[in-house]
Amino acid sequence: MRSLRSIASSAIAAIAVVAASGGGAHPAAAGPGGRIIGTVKVTETDGKPVSGPDVIVYMLGFSEPPGDQVATVAQKGRRFVPDLVSITVNERVSFPNNDPFLHNVFSQSPDRQFDLGSYKRGESKEKQFPKAGVVDVYCNIHPEMAATIIVVPNRRHTRVDPTGHFVLEGVPPGEWTVFAYSRRSTRPTSGKVTVKAGADTNVELAIVRGAEPQHLNKYGEKYKEGTQVYKDKDK
Amino acid sequence: MPRTAAAGRTFYGWLYGTEVMPERSVELQTWVLDESGKYGTSNKETWLWWGPVIGVTDQLELALPIELEWQSSEVDNVVKASFTFKRFGIEARYRLVSADPAEAPSLVPLVRIAAKRDVIVRDRLRVEGDAVVSYDLGAVNALVDLGVVADIATSSRHIELRPSGGISVQVASGLRLGAEVYSELSLDARGESWAAVGPNLAWTHGRFWLSGAFGIGVYHIKTAPRVMWGIAF
Repeated sequence: MRSLRSIASSAIAAIAVVAASGGGAHPAAAGPGGRIIGTVKVTETDGKPVSGPDVIVYMLGFSEPPGDQVATVAQKGRRFVPDLVSITVNERVSFPNNDPFLHNVFSQSPDRQFDLGSYKRGESKEKQFPKAGVVDVYCNIHPEMAATIIVVPNRRHTRVDPTGHFVLEGVPPGEWTVFAYSRRSTRPTSGKVTVKAGADTNVELAIVRGAEPQHLNKYGEKYKEGTQVYKDKDK
Repeated sequence: MPRTAAAGRTFYGWLYGTEVMPERSVELQTWVLDESGKYGTSNKETWLWWGPVIGVTDQLELALPIELEWQSSEVDNVVKASFTFKRFGIEARYRLVSADPAEAPSLVPLVRIAAKRDVIVRDRLRVEGDAVVSYDLGAVNALVDLGVVADIATSSRHIELRPSGGISVQVASGLRLGAEVYSELSLDARGESWAAVGPNLAWTHGRFWLSGAFGIGVYHIKTAPRVMWGIAF
């Protein structure tokens, strides 16, 4: 499970460390930015195209303060909805339980460990994410529930629309790397771009999607037999 | 330890820790402690503490313990031993700051209050309180636990202080070693006080944790080993 995700996680974490140390990543310059317009093509490992998958596009290399919004990852129908979100470092995510039974939310990801305990319908808990990285979130009760939170050091991140298109506005001028991430990416994908103030830059990215990675419960054990597995809806 | 706090565990043998369980978590805890050779006698005592611990909120946990006591004494070369269901009760442990490792400060306070009924002396109530403060500095955890115990009955009253402190250092994933000092200081005329100091150990593996200390008597006791473990569900 870790092998795939940890690649992307390491990529983000490495940049985050650089940003924290003041080298490499730097605050975004004030002034007019450029725009990145792009597409992300997602295929299965056998080459078949996938329509409408959840894909997040983000950039690294510069930092920006977080916005005021609180992202939401709801628990509904024994799933996390959405199961992929991107936030800026220090933003918060709420985890409301919309199911008529208890859920637990936990993460053992090195970049953000927490355990929200178990709580019932109508209750919600929030967590702040002070460190850049990839945070995998699970329910200790229902193994089919999995979500990923991409924590990025700037606000230039967005969800790709169902047709595979995206736009990143207000990107500071310079040479940057644009990343695309899907929960089931077999490897991270990225592209280099050169952004000029007031101009559009195009980029095309491709993701190969694999199987949903298995995970362990919060005690590091396999889930009990009988409960189970991630159902492959149109993700 | 790297794992998220999933249990109301302690890193120490005689000292209460400052971790509490997440909301609606349940854990079974067992403590076994020996006190041998107190006050210059050859008396021996072994206590068993057992009970479920329930996470009420992410900062408050409740325990419902029962306590069993085995003791032996030797008078005129005659050994007398007894085994007793000693007391039962309820205790609350409240952590005053967030249990989230990313939000919690280095200095973590916790208060503990317990009320237990004595099974043999039916009108005796034991009230216990602890003010605990831990300080995390990387792999090092230092902790001070100021405890007080009062046995209150219709015709008698006994109060003792239980100041203690220790240090615990993570030496490997899931494994900690350290040392601690623990004392029971009577405030009444009986003056039955004692103190011990010794090494401690804590180990966590998945849903299981274990900790213990081997107290070597430095005042009015010979040995005071104690081990405790918990398993979360």
